[in-house]
Amino acid sequence: MRANGAATALRVGAAALALAALPLLVGDFWAYQLGLFYLYAIAALGVGVCWGRAGFLPLGQGLFFGLAAYLSGLALIAFEQRPGWLLLMLPLAVCVPGVLAFAIGVLVFRRRGESGPYFSMITLALALLAFQVANNWESVTGGFNGLKGIPGLPGLDSYAAAYAVAAAALVAAALLVAWLYRAPLGVLWAALAQNERRVVMFGFDSNRLKAVAFAASGALAGIGGALYAPQQGLVTPQLVGFALSADLVIWAAVGGRGSLLGPALGAIAIGVLSGELRDRFPYWEIVLAIVFIAVVLFAPEGLAGAIAPLARWRRRRQAQADSPAIAAPPRADAGRAARLELDGVDVRIGEVTILDRLALSFDRPAIYCVIGPNGAGKTSTFNVITGELAAQAGSVRFDSRAIESLPAHRVVRLGIGRKFQIPSVFPALSVADHLAIALWSARARPLDLLRPSLRRWSSPLLDALRARYPFLADGTRAAAALSHGERQILELAMALLGEPRLLLLDEPCAGLSPQETAAVIDVIRWVRTQHGATIVVIEHDMALVRTLADHVFVLHNGKVLAEGTVAAIQADPAVQAIYVGAAK
Amino acid sequence: MDPASFVAPALNALFGIASLAIVALGLAVVLGLLGVLNLAHGELVMVGAYCAYVAQSQGWPYLAAVPLALALCALLGWSVERWLVRPLYQRPFDTLVLTWGLSLLLRKSAEAIFGLGYKSLTEPIGGTLEVLGTSYPRYRLLLIATAAVVLGALFAWYRRSRTGTRIQAMVGNPDLARALGLPVRRYASATFVAGTCLAGLAGVLIAPLVPVQPFMGLDYILMSFFVLVVGGLGSLAGLSTGSALIGGVNSAVSALSDSTGGYLSVLVIAILFLWLRPRGIHAR
Repeated sequence: MRANGAATALRVGAAALALAALPLLVGDFWAYQLGLFYLYAIAALGVGVCWGRAGFLPLGQGLFFGLAAYLSGLALIAFEQRPGWLLLMLPLAVCVPGVLAFAIGVLVFRRRGESGPYFSMITLALALLAFQVANNWESVTGGFNGLKGIPGLPGLDSYAAAYAVAAAALVAAALLVAWLYRAPLGVLWAALAQNERRVVMFGFDSNRLKAVAFAASGALAGIGGALYAPQQGLVTPQLVGFALSADLVIWAAVGGRGSLLGPALGAIAIGVLSGELRDRFPYWEIVLAIVFIAVVLFAPEGLAGAIAPLARWRRRRQAQADSPAIAAPPRADAGRAARLELDGVDVRIGEVTILDRLALSFDRPAIYCVIGPNGAGKTSTFNVITGELAAQAGSVRFDSRAIESLPAHRVVRLGIGRKFQIPSVFPALSVADHLAIALWSARARPLDLLRPSLRRWSSPLLDALRARYPFLADGTRAAAALSHGERQILELAMALLGEPRLLLLDEPCAGLSPQETAAVIDVIRWVRTQHGATIVVIEHDMALVRTLADHVFVLHNGKVLAEGTVAAIQADPAVQAIYVGAAK
Repeated sequence: MDPASFVAPALNALFGIASLAIVALGLAVVLGLLGVLNLAHGELVMVGAYCAYVAQSQGWPYLAAVPLALALCALLGWSVERWLVRPLYQRPFDTLVLTWGLSLLLRKSAEAIFGLGYKSLTEPIGGTLEVLGTSYPRYRLLLIATAAVVLGALFAWYRRSRTGTRIQAMVGNPDLARALGLPVRRYASATFVAGTCLAGLAGVLIAPLVPVQPFMGLDYILMSFFVLVVGGLGSLAGLSTGSALIGGVNSAVSALSDSTGGYLSVLVIAILFLWLRPRGIHAR
């Protein structure tokens, strides 16, 4: 780890040195131009965070860049004679856009699943609105002609100093983003982009996570904007409007939105090229739009993808450097028996009755099997328990606490774990990241998500699972490269690692070979005795039910038809009737 | 009070709703039936408007702009569906990004061909008509009538005709429709082209009443989208209530304060609907 850190420091130092030496090579005019694009590059990093990492596209980032530029411009003018105040005002000019972005994110992401296009459209609308405000509010913003005569940063207003400030800010911003990407937060963002529902089922508030990503992008745009005002000396409404917002998206895409430095690379390369070609070649912007479409269609990795072989070599070296595991803290409520009761639960969708005054009780540490024909309401029951499906009537109580109106992530945090019927993983994430996310579930406090060391968490249960399933120990493989059986086991392992007190398993053995099935049964029983968890299994295979179940519920048409031991159920004529189709 | 004093505001409101509804119709077709949010919708309206400008500045009859816009938008719609949308029906997010790229391409092309400045057109039918004692511009009345006919005819055709029923089948369950032997791919392509053509047609209709310029599409896509957010997809009633609410609030607040206030209130309404009624007033 230490050698690795030294190598990183060396690389960052070399990059900083190269940036510092650049003006000597290209001359003052170009250095001045580059300084501007460094500031745009910082904002483009933020587009990368949202679009490349967390998977939602902001179309109005100019709003935050321009807002910070206006704030910092106004502060520089107002406090020209008292520069001490600027130490407070300039950071404020960065924070305000960040806080605003967070507030917008919280407001818009509140409804899950609807956020993709809605979010993009609302950010676009906000940028256009901001343009109107900046244009019309002449007394403050200077109107169409802009805010003029902004002084440079005190003591740093030579061309060379302005370049150095921009370069230092870019390096600092890139380090900040690199840190976020290494921290659990960055892993969760990447997970969100691929499978939001699974992230929620680990007890994370996905809407809040997205709002934090958007806040980070707002603050990054804020850094660029706050430095833009003193560097350029002029802030116009064009900055908050659509044009810069669109450029930032293009730069991020062409540079490579998925990588850390791609968006910055795009901003600098395309920005400089545009500055050169825009006036000489009238169709340049059209060419750029075509390049954008082509990159999105055929080369989503962008320019950064072109130099990826180098990065890949670096990653392999990092993986080899073995870092010691850290014991994850135990769950606060570990070992307490769970008690879940559903009473009178009604779910109707249109004319169709899904659950019909369903009453179920899981009140001791045991393995319960829920069986029933297709459409009996088994998976819907799980969805009601985990707060994803709203019941029109009835109560769901966990440890005698009403949970029917809690959002899904909070239900899960009470100690309920779930494995979906179809293996639900994050295709592009590594096995190690999957297991780490599962360990953070219900253990990591919000601020812990900023600590990269959490990626080295381990637990006795994880060690035991790795010993049973060697493929879990090779953490570098992507989930997309796993076989169906391995994915089933990976998801089961993730559900177990949170050490929930109530574990909901939806057909854990579907599509597994007899050997794999035997292994899964083994693990379920072992967890049951080892951790005293209450386990509810939906299953079709009666042979499996016979080997697993302590108690069986038979669901039919949304209500309980029969319950009892396996033997009692098999002897029940009503159960035989629905399975064999005998006369009423 | 003189009843005639209500006629002009009522006709103005009707005109506002009709022009918003006709502009949003193409987006409603594509989003409602194919689930594709075409971010280039506003720019297709712009293409239609520039067609009208070309026709007028060449001295052609105004109606010549209609086939011109339809041909151009059909070509654009067909190629976009074929190359940018069809490969990505499973990846709606990428479609959003790609149509956004297309909107950029169209806008920059208009800028390169016609320049950044405003073009203003003269109304092809001038003069006013006496309505209940109030004189009102003929062209606006024509626009209201055209919008009503196009909307009514389209929805009636969709509900009643054989092809409309088949398209409904495709919307409900594309896989089953394909299994039944319906040419789903052709229907999807035709639906997309219909949406883009309607956008072009709307552009021709509104061109004489608005400043024609490369950035005009931005407002139209946002307003159309908000109309659909508020009204809900898939019904004539949704499209009209959405247009009425968005258009009404926008013009009322704009008249009381300024255009920024109108814009802000539309945005607030859209966000409120997103929380409280994400499927709009007339949910399908």
